[in-house]
Amino acid sequence: MNSNVSRKDFLTPTWILIAAGLVAGGAVGLYEMFFGHLFATNSSLVWTLPLVTYIFLALMSTGVSLILAYGLIMKDEAITRHTRALLIMAIGMLLGGFTALATELGSLLNMVWILLSPNPSSPIWWMGTLYSIELVLLAVKLVLDLKGRHGVFDLPLAWGTLLIAAAAAITIGAVFGTVIGRPDYHGAFLSVITLVSALVSGAAAIVLLRPQSALTETAGRIFRQTALLFAGLLLVRVAYEAHSTVVGMLGWASIWMLVPFILALVLLQYAPRILAFIGILGVLWVQYSFIITGQLVSLGQTAHWYGAVQSYQPNIPEALILVLGVAVAAALIKLGGQFLMDERPPAT
Amino acid sequence: MGYGMVIDQQLCVGCAACTIACKIENNTPVGFNWCDKITRTSGKFPAVRYEYISTMCNHCDNAPCVAACPTQAMYKDRQTGLTLHDTKKCIGCKACIVNCPYGVISFNWERPHQHWAQRDRLAEGCFSPREMLEESGGEGSPHGNPERGTTYPVVRPAGSVEKCTFCDHRLVKGLAPACVDACPSGARQFGDIDDPNSEVSKLVARHGGKGLREELGTRPRVIYIRDYKPQRRFEPARPAGENQGA
Ligand code: SF4
Ligand code: SF4
Repeated sequence: MNSNVSRKDFLTPTWILIAAGLVAGGAVGLYEMFFGHLFATNSSLVWTLPLVTYIFLALMSTGVSLILAYGLIMKDEAITRHTRALLIMAIGMLLGGFTALATELGSLLNMVWILLSPNPSSPIWWMGTLYSIELVLLAVKLVLDLKGRHGVFDLPLAWGTLLIAAAAAITIGAVFGTVIGRPDYHGAFLSVITLVSALVSGAAAIVLLRPQSALTETAGRIFRQTALLFAGLLLVRVAYEAHSTVVGMLGWASIWMLVPFILALVLLQYAPRILAFIGILGVLWVQYSFIITGQLVSLGQTAHWYGAVQSYQPNIPEALILVLGVAVAAALIKLGGQFLMDERPPAT
Repeated sequence: MGYGMVIDQQLCVGCAACTIACKIENNTPVGFNWCDKITRTSGKFPAVRYEYISTMCNHCDNAPCVAACPTQAMYKDRQTGLTLHDTKKCIGCKACIVNCPYGVISFNWERPHQHWAQRDRLAEGCFSPREMLEESGGEGSPHGNPERGTTYPVVRPAGSVEKCTFCDHRLVKGLAPACVDACPSGARQFGDIDDPNSEVSKLVARHGGKGLREELGTRPRVIYIRDYKPQRRFEPARPAGENQGA
């Protein structure tokens, strides 16, 4: 653990950007939670960019966890040598996602009912439970790593994280896929999309955020393979939507969504960080598109109020919640790097 | 035992008295209608058809909102068949809204009825909204119905959803929902739809009604009978001698 961190370490361009994001996004989040409503929502379009932010960050964290668990189980040195850094990344991203989610839930104190009055038929209940367990497992692993305690628990914990993380990503897809009566939300395909998008964004995040090493090479390989798979899935979806006879389906996939992943596949070795960043944006685009499109068709009486098909564009407060979620994740990852790593990263 | 409603499309005149009665009875905020409508215009002139379908929570037997709610805040009352909501357990996740295929649930993004908290008077000598509220002893608004508060908060809190309860506070007193009593044409009938001998069940048996989006398997408890046809204007819904009104 590192104790000689000085004030100078916080006077860097990255920290100034993070602080600006925390202040601007935090102000919007607090206002939304306690004073009034700023988001571009209504009673028919309820899950907008703040929820997309949660899903984006939670899935990216899941991807990092999955890659780390794979490394621990397969005893891949390239990954296991960076266990602590990857744990810090996964925890930071998950807490960034939870922060974004908190701003859009009505009543944080009532979250206790998730424990006291559980409903196992609800995918959201499973999602909340699995991500809570995931956070606890990651925290336990981090504490054990910081104390230098390795041994008999490592493998069971790695398997536990792998299974919980995969189940959590699949459950996020089920939150949308189990909805009935909305033409753009249906089926197990969405669970496949969330699981693969977790791997793509998690691998890309490692390439983007970690210094070049055997780890980024392994993550780059995973990124390219999963990007190819993701592009294939998107192509299937584009073809399906082109031929779909489902009444009222708007379709959320576009052929242009394949571009970031094909670029990554072909050109990653030339500009890994730029292409990882583009890949992450591509994943955000896909997740945003399917989550929003599923709600655009007004159901029943709401068509009278909002029109048969709504249009949505995030407003500035919603965009600032995306900034807030990313800033919280970045702050925690930076803090972890500065205080918890034996080798400190250079100040940036 | 399970409550249900039958709406006779032949008798409904589209006056929206049900919507207004619901709003007054349940103190719903501006922009929220627990009882609302779907209107449809179809066909080509001169064979044009206009439909007015009064809507509300269908209290589905197989309610997707209940299945999706992570905290059981949205629940089925097995005694009455009603789909009810507990604001205390509601965490505002809105899964019920996304999962209800009928669009009948509203979300309180902000504390409702805020304009009644204003202290500014429009003109000297008038009551301010706040003074009017204090004078009348109302909750939320001067006309907030205190009876509503016996089973569901008169003002539902910010961060919570709300929807039709079939006026459960009236049912416990043996009264019909407010929309049923307000309907001037007797188009709405209410009763124990699980009892084959009840008035509502007999109407469905006679006319073969249908719920909305039944193909989804939600098993709605609001059943629509007799599509409107001008030629059957004088045809009674029930045989002579039976009660025609609410
Ligand atoms: S109509 Fe909607 S809110 Fe009412 S019970 Fe059915 S699914 Fe639930
Ligand atoms: S918003 Fe409330 S009632 Fe609706 S699903 Fe969430 S917790 Fe349940």
